[in-house]
Amino acid sequence: MTELVDVFLGGTFHAAVLFLVAAGLQLVFGVQKIVNLACGSFYALGAYFGITAVGIAIKLGMPPLLFFPVLIVAGLAIGLVGLPIERVLRTIYRRDESYQLLITFGFLLMFQDAFRYLWGATPRTMDNVYLAYGTAQVLGVRVPTYNLLVIAASIAIAAGLGLFLERTKTGRIVRATAENRDMAEGLGINASKIFAIVFTVGCMLGTVGGALVVPSGAASLDMAVDLVVESFAVVVIGGLGSMRGAVVGALIVGLMRAAAISLMPELEMLSVYLVVVVVLILRPAGLFGKVAA
Amino acid sequence: MKLTRRNFSKLAGSSVLAIATPGIFAAALAQDKPLRIGIIAPRSGVAGTAGECGIRAVQWAAERMNKDGGIAGRKIELVFEEETNPKDTIERFRRLILQEKVEAVHGLISTGVSLGVAPVAEEEQALLVMWDGTTQDGVKETMANPRYVFRSTDNECEAVMGSLLAIKYFKGKFKRVAGINPDYSYGRNNWEAFKQILGRYGVEAEFVAEQWPKVGTMDLTSHIAALKAAKPDLIFSSMLFADLPVFMKQGHAAGLFDGVKIVLPAAGWQINQLKKEFMPEGIIFGHNTLYFDHPQASPLQKAFVQDYMDRYKEAPHWEADRAYFALAAYKAGVEAAQKAASKWPTPEQVAEAMPGLEVESLGGKGRFRKDKIAEQVFYQGPSTNTNKYDFPTLASIDTFQAEQLQKPPGADFWEWIKTAKMPV
Repeated sequence: MTELVDVFLGGTFHAAVLFLVAAGLQLVFGVQKIVNLACGSFYALGAYFGITAVGIAIKLGMPPLLFFPVLIVAGLAIGLVGLPIERVLRTIYRRDESYQLLITFGFLLMFQDAFRYLWGATPRTMDNVYLAYGTAQVLGVRVPTYNLLVIAASIAIAAGLGLFLERTKTGRIVRATAENRDMAEGLGINASKIFAIVFTVGCMLGTVGGALVVPSGAASLDMAVDLVVESFAVVVIGGLGSMRGAVVGALIVGLMRAAAISLMPELEMLSVYLVVVVVLILRPAGLFGKVAA
Repeated sequence: MKLTRRNFSKLAGSSVLAIATPGIFAAALAQDKPLRIGIIAPRSGVAGTAGECGIRAVQWAAERMNKDGGIAGRKIELVFEEETNPKDTIERFRRLILQEKVEAVHGLISTGVSLGVAPVAEEEQALLVMWDGTTQDGVKETMANPRYVFRSTDNECEAVMGSLLAIKYFKGKFKRVAGINPDYSYGRNNWEAFKQILGRYGVEAEFVAEQWPKVGTMDLTSHIAALKAAKPDLIFSSMLFADLPVFMKQGHAAGLFDGVKIVLPAAGWQINQLKKEFMPEGIIFGHNTLYFDHPQASPLQKAFVQDYMDRYKEAPHWEADRAYFALAAYKAGVEAAQKAASKWPTPEQVAEAMPGLEVESLGGKGRFRKDKIAEQVFYQGPSTNTNKYDFPTLASIDTFQAEQLQKPPGADFWEWIKTAKMPV
């Protein structure tokens, strides 16, 4: 039983991080119809900036227990980089999708060099946060409290995002713009402003994800590309553009991977992509995606 | 110089003489110019930390040798190129040889890249002295007797030593063994070697879990959960790069190491990232060919470590030794060949002179065998956290010679491991 709990918590931790990046991807596609390959770069940017922010916090003499909120604030702050990037993307909104893929892929590569220039090529680790929160017992299993905090933060962000989209006026405007941009503009909605907000929020989801995960791992130049691949598996399973799909897809990928690692480590990636293939065959639009008319 | 008729006649006369006797003048001219050596090492990616340490060491070595007159009287000039993937690195290797006109190329860490560059070096008849690269496909040597290519010690040396020390220190204290190793030939061969050596020396162990995270996996929580579920008494891991500190940190937080013996034959490469706060004591900790804190270190090592730590505020690891050794062995080869030929030697003459010449490197004495594979000294031992650093050092030092840890020329590794006389 304890083994099962351990595997479940490991998978959920991975899913929590995957969800944040995939949610950003979904939000941007859902509203702006852009497949943002640079989402992994935002994740890496959050990780690197998180290390810098905690470094500053240490210099200011802040206690380690405050580093978790520092990381969230750092992730949100650096997520504002989405605003200027969205300005560049405006030039290709109405062009063919291949332009979008090319330009966002270009951003992915450019970010990698920017990270190399700003933070160096060596993977960067942060040692004073992950263990500062100690450990907790969950159903007889010893778990780093930090992992539980990340899972809780991810659930809170998912709930907050859901409330924002479903219950607020801006959320309704965002959904209306996603449904029919021309009609929304006809009703006096400033779609450009909505696009800028949505892209920046999508970017912030990635940067917060990166900032939160870095204390447990390391920031490295390759992390952006690695996560993009897994995020697309989440999106394909959940359905492109669906927030519910991001939650379910992330959980499926995280738990499938954890189960495979535990039962048959050789099949770690195969198990995830087996689900992708099955979903593509049986429900090409994904579990929660809308079938194109 | 003002060009008068007399000056012109002198110049023309000298030129005619130079053309008529190229050997004499080429040698004299060569002696005046700096000796250009190409360095190919990774500065980015997962091996960036290792490459950086090697680069710092080779710069230190060149500076020190230049103060003593360089190599056979010529000052060393290093020309740097980046080691990335095999295809691009081969291009850069050719550029160094053909455009930069370097006399030799040193460096290379990845065996994947070395396997691609080595045949090109043979084809271009260019001297290549590898730091950490080999020409092994798995454990199988692909170049039995190259003419221009000098390789590092075999990749499995540290795993063989770690296995022998696991027997020395832990025999009778463990039953259930788990492995978590990088998912490529290095990790798989090390794990297999460990299992075979335990079996050969009568250690009855049950191998309860094997994990193969791909290099660069930064979330190992699921791997750790799987290892915990297997309830091992001993964990063997030849993980490298940032992956190892991440594994140790996440494993410590999850309680994986409570009461568990650990063998990390390649830990020294990440020494600065392996912080005491998550490193248990008593780990079999591999430092490969350079243990920076050796109390009986040579004056050369002490001088290097002092300078390195003062300048970079971190400890050097074995890549520094590999880089130093490559340059020291090359210097010895050039000087021996020059002495024999009484003129500046050709790459062929240097390559012929190098094998067998013993040189002092940072970590101890070393040499290249006749088949141009290095033999150096290896250091491992149980770790302690009682020291002045924020990472572990060795509580006691075990020292093995490469001859005790690597297969002899032409031997099959798996056959050798079954019959070799090992220092158990």
